[in-house]
Amino acid sequence: MTQTSSIDPKVTSRPTRTSGRIARLLYRNEGLRGYLLMSPTLIILTVGVIIPFLILLVISFWTRAGVGFDTTPSLANYARVVNEPMFGILLGRSFWMSGIATVATIAICYPMAYFVAFHVHRNKMFWLILITLPFWISYLLRVFAWRVILGYEGVINSSLVWLGWIKAPLEFLLYSPTAVIITLTHAWAAFAILPLYVSLEKIDKSLLVAATDLGDGPVARFFRITLPLSMPGVIAASFLIFIPTTGDYITPALLGGPDGMMIGNLIQAQFGSINNWPMGATLSIILMLWIAAVALAFLYLTRLAQARIA
Amino acid sequence: MDVKDQLHALQEGKLSRRVFNTSLMAAGVGLLSTTLPTHRAGAQTSGKGTFFTYGGYDIPELFVPFQAKHGELPDLVPFGNADDALTRLRAGFVADVTHPCNSNLSRFVGQDLLQSVDTSRLSNWPDVMPELANLEGNTAPDGRPWLIPFDWGQTSITYRTDLFDLEGKEESLNMLWDPRYSGRIGVFASGAESWWIGAIKAGIPFSDIDTDAAFDAIAAVMREQRPLVRTYTDDTAALEQALASGELVAAMTWNSSAALLKSQGVPVAFANPKEGALTWVCGAAILKTAPNVDRAYDIIDSLLSVESGKFMIGSYGYGHSNRRSFEEFDDATLAGLGLSRNPAEVLMAGKFQTVVSQDWQNRMNETWEAVKAGF
Repeated sequence: MTQTSSIDPKVTSRPTRTSGRIARLLYRNEGLRGYLLMSPTLIILTVGVIIPFLILLVISFWTRAGVGFDTTPSLANYARVVNEPMFGILLGRSFWMSGIATVATIAICYPMAYFVAFHVHRNKMFWLILITLPFWISYLLRVFAWRVILGYEGVINSSLVWLGWIKAPLEFLLYSPTAVIITLTHAWAAFAILPLYVSLEKIDKSLLVAATDLGDGPVARFFRITLPLSMPGVIAASFLIFIPTTGDYITPALLGGPDGMMIGNLIQAQFGSINNWPMGATLSIILMLWIAAVALAFLYLTRLAQARIA
Repeated sequence: MDVKDQLHALQEGKLSRRVFNTSLMAAGVGLLSTTLPTHRAGAQTSGKGTFFTYGGYDIPELFVPFQAKHGELPDLVPFGNADDALTRLRAGFVADVTHPCNSNLSRFVGQDLLQSVDTSRLSNWPDVMPELANLEGNTAPDGRPWLIPFDWGQTSITYRTDLFDLEGKEESLNMLWDPRYSGRIGVFASGAESWWIGAIKAGIPFSDIDTDAAFDAIAAVMREQRPLVRTYTDDTAALEQALASGELVAAMTWNSSAALLKSQGVPVAFANPKEGALTWVCGAAILKTAPNVDRAYDIIDSLLSVESGKFMIGSYGYGHSNRRSFEEFDDATLAGLGLSRNPAEVLMAGKFQTVVSQDWQNRMNETWEAVKAGF
C-alpha cells in the first residue's frame, strides 16, 4: 500500500492546475482517501448508531418530571435499577430465556449445517436456500404462526386431543416462557445455520482423513477435529442469536403471558404507558452493558476451551 | 463500474482522480436521495384528512356521509390505547382528528395537543345528547368544547354462560377473581381500564383514587388476581377468540366483544356487575396541528351521523351520541347490550372515570406494570 514510488509515471503525473489543493492533499494522503471511500458507511454509522447512543446515554442521566424531563444529571435511575429487585429479576429472566433459546437453536441447526457441508455434494446453494426459505416470511407472521400452532385450539393441542393422548388441551404451551423459547429458537434458526455452515464448509477434509488414518473413530474425530475447527461459527451464531433475543419485545408480548415477560417489554412500557423515557434509556444502557459483559465472558471461556483442546 | 476493480486500483495507488471523484459523487448522491423521500413523507399528509383512532374504528362503515361528500375515505390510522396515541403525537405524528375519552381528555388538553371545536360547523350537533357533552374538563377557555362525544359504553365482563357457573349468585366483579377459573381469565393490559376495575373491586371511590391508600389497596387486589390471569392483552380480537374457544371463561371487555360473540352464536353474556361497571364516553377532537381543518369537521360530522350510529349500536354494541340513532332499536335489545336510549341512566348507574393528572397516570402505570410483571 505504501509503495507509491513504483507507480507508472504517466498515471502519477502530479495534479497541477484546476483541482488544486484538495486533489493534492488526496493524492498525498492515503489515509484520507481511505476515509473518503468509507465515508458513506461512516456517515450512516454516526447518524444511525453513535448519535442515538449518545442521546440515550444523556437521557439516562435525566429524570422524569410530569410529561417532560428534569435535565439535571443524576444517577437516580441507575440507583433504582440496583435497589429494586424487579429490574434485576427481569434482566436475569431475559438472559436465562434467550440463553436457552441460543443453545437450543445451535443444537438444532448444527446437524443441519453439518449435513449440508459434508453430505451434500451437488446444488449446495439450492439446499441452503431451501433451509432458509421459511425465514423469508416476516418475523411477526412467524410469531403469529406459532400462536396458531401452540394455541389452546392449536395444531399441537387439537392433534393430541384427536389422538386421545390428552383429554383437555395443554395450557402451558401458549402464554408461557416455554412458548417464547420455542418461538425464538425457530425464528432465529437462519442466523445460526449460515455461520455454522460456512465454518464447517471451510474445514480441510484431509484433516479428517488424517485423523481416521491415525485411529480416531467417528465420534473422537468429531470432537477432536470438526467441533474445534467449527467453533468460530458456533461463537458467531451464538452472538447473532443471543444479543438480539435478550432484548426481544414482540415474542414475549404476544406469547409470553404474565410469566413470560422479558426486559424488552419493560423498556417498551417505560417509553410508552409509564412515560418515563429516562428510566427506559437507563434500562437499555444497562442491558447493553450486561450483554457486552456476557459476550466477553463467553468469548474468553471459548478461547480458554479452544486453547486446552489445542 | 466494477467495485472490486476500484478497490484494487486504490490499493495499488492507480485509481485515477476522475474515477475516484465520480464514485465519491455517486455515493453522495445515493446518500442524499435515500433520505429525501422519507423526509417529505414525514412532513406532509395526503390532504384526505386523517383520523387517528382506536383499532376497530378504522373502518369505512363510519364514514358513509364523508365518502358521499368527498368520494374517498379519510386516512384511518389506528392506535392501541391512549398512552400509545399520546406517545406518537408527542413524537410528531400529524393527524387531523383523534379520539380521546373522558378519562384521558385532560392529558390531551394538558399537553396542548387540541384545538376547541366550533359546533356550528357540525350539521349533526343539534341531535347530540347534551349529557354526554357536558363532561368535566370539556370546556375550552373560549367556551367551546374540546371533545365532541361520539361513542360511550362500559368496561365490564364478558363471560361464557355455559362454562362459568354463577352458582345462583349475582353478576359481580368477583367473577374476574374467582379461583375456580384460575388460568381461564383474561384482563386488559392497559391500566386505563384494569386499574379502575381494580378500584371498584377494592371499594375505592373514584374521588379518592389519587391517595396512597388507594394505590396500595388497588395494587393488592390486582396482585391477588395475577395468578388467575391467562393473559394481559389489549387485543380485543385475541380475547374474543379465546372466549369463543373456551380457553377463557371470563374476560374484561367492552360491550362490542359480547355483541360480536353473541352474533356468532357463542353463548356469552355481558355482565352487569352489582358493584357497577366502569362507564366511559369517548369522542372526536381536532388536533392543534391539523393540516386539514375543513376535512376534520367532515370527519366528525360523519361520526355523528345516524348511519354511523346504527352501525355502532347494531354491530358493535356501543352507545352513540346521536339520539336519533336509537330510534331503530327496541328497549330490550338496548338493555341486552348494556345500553339505554337515555344515557344518563347508564352513566349514573355505572362508575364514571374521573379526570386524573399526568403524574397520577405515570404512577399508576408504573405500579400496574410492576404488578403485571409479578412484583
